[in-house]
Amino acid sequence: MTTILIIAGVITLIAVLMYNSLIGKKNQVENIFGGVDAVLKKRFDLIPNLVASVERYMEHEKSTLEKVTELRSQAMKPGISDDQKIALDAKLTAALGSISVAIENYPDLKANENVMHLQRSLHEIEEQISAARRAYNQSVTDLNNAIEMFPTNMMASWMGLERKAVFEITVNERQNINVQALFDRS
Amino acid sequence: MKSTSELTDFYYQELYPSLSELEERRLHILSQLRWYGGMGIVVFLIAILWMKKNFGLFHPLMMGIVMIFVVIASITYRFMTKGYAQDFKARIITPLIGAIDPHLLYNPDFMISQRLFERSDLFQHTIDRYSGNDYVKGSIDGVPIEFSDVHAEYQTRDSKGRTQWHTLFRGLFLVAEFNKTFTSKTLILPDMAQKSFGTLIGGWLQSINFSRDDLIRLDDPEFEKHFVVYGNDPIEARYILTHSMMKRLLEFQRRISHPLFVSFVHNHIHVAIGTGKDLFEPAIFTSLLNFKQAMEYVNTLRNTIGLAEELKLNEKLWSKE
Repeated sequence: MTTILIIAGVITLIAVLMYNSLIGKKNQVENIFGGVDAVLKKRFDLIPNLVASVERYMEHEKSTLEKVTELRSQAMKPGISDDQKIALDAKLTAALGSISVAIENYPDLKANENVMHLQRSLHEIEEQISAARRAYNQSVTDLNNAIEMFPTNMMASWMGLERKAVFEITVNERQNINVQALFDRS
Repeated sequence: MKSTSELTDFYYQELYPSLSELEERRLHILSQLRWYGGMGIVVFLIAILWMKKNFGLFHPLMMGIVMIFVVIASITYRFMTKGYAQDFKARIITPLIGAIDPHLLYNPDFMISQRLFERSDLFQHTIDRYSGNDYVKGSIDGVPIEFSDVHAEYQTRDSKGRTQWHTLFRGLFLVAEFNKTFTSKTLILPDMAQKSFGTLIGGWLQSINFSRDDLIRLDDPEFEKHFVVYGNDPIEARYILTHSMMKRLLEFQRRISHPLFVSFVHNHIHVAIGTGKDLFEPAIFTSLLNFKQAMEYVNTLRNTIGLAEELKLNEKLWSKE
């Protein structure tokens, strides 16, 4: 009898620990996504300013600027899912990257202090976004591992937890866009 | 900043007159030390023989005699080398630091404040005795920087009520302004657990370290192998530790071959290098003209002062200007 009780106690304890660690991981993901959201918003706030100050000069980049504005309004719509946000963020980063490269070709813009100031703020926010993405990816990886690995996977499926998507990060993200943008021009 | 080879040239050419004078003094001190040492050993042996005859070799008083001799020997050594050490710092280390950057201030008797050392939060024990020397302060490429030798100790009492001193940290401690604004705390410590217990158990041990903040796993496997990172903000920790910053820290660790502790607190970077000895002290038993000895002085100074440059702390982001 005592043996059965002890075994039952140990099993309950393990189940509780597993449950709590899964909940902890899920909340960590949500918590960090809040941080990602905050820095993404910072960037959204900056975009209208940037577009307004460069569009007079950048005739050839009109379509890119419009795309940026469009992506921003899409991403700011209420009620879009985290996965959609992640996808829009990737597009926005690429579009902003090509604007930064294009600015290099306009001496007037490079001399404009306001634009340079915006550029630098944008660069700093990009660094913060990159950090937030990496933190988010790590927390998602922890959660996904727990969801797929034995024995937490059984508990996770019972709890109805699902795998989450990570931000795609390539180290040379910016670099690749630069090259692409240069080829497009010539 | 001057390169290591330029500084080595400076050491052998510009400082040569001072070096040869100091070298003469060193030889003189060395011969005096030998003479006193020889006398000391003779007196010590006589004392031991006398003890053996009267009390036996394993009498408790024997400990006392050994202790007295050790104390006398170290006092004599300090006394004889003190003036030489001061001269060495004034005539060799001071111009050497001036050659690296003329705006750096150097004070051989001062040290980095205990408040800064404690602020780094790298060593969690309370400090009962704090000392240090060779304080350097200034700015490199517009980055405020200061460092010194530090010896931090704490005290314990054993069951018989005797106090014992333990070294918490001994080595070089450096504080510099960091080029990004942050409000959180991030600590980088040498990875002992993972090295000794492997990734699985070591990683688990690190994650249950209650005295520290949350464990932060980073996306650079090589960095993870050498260091363990704790912090209270996972996003800011990655904002500070970008991929390139992790690479630079790893390269620095590879070059110094001493345990490296780094913390980011209060918009500053704190670096502790556990050399385990007092740096910038004059050699007594090797020649000052010895190349290896010269390289030790030149390299230690160059590496420490160059750290700001190496970690690119001068690349300021917009909000810090």
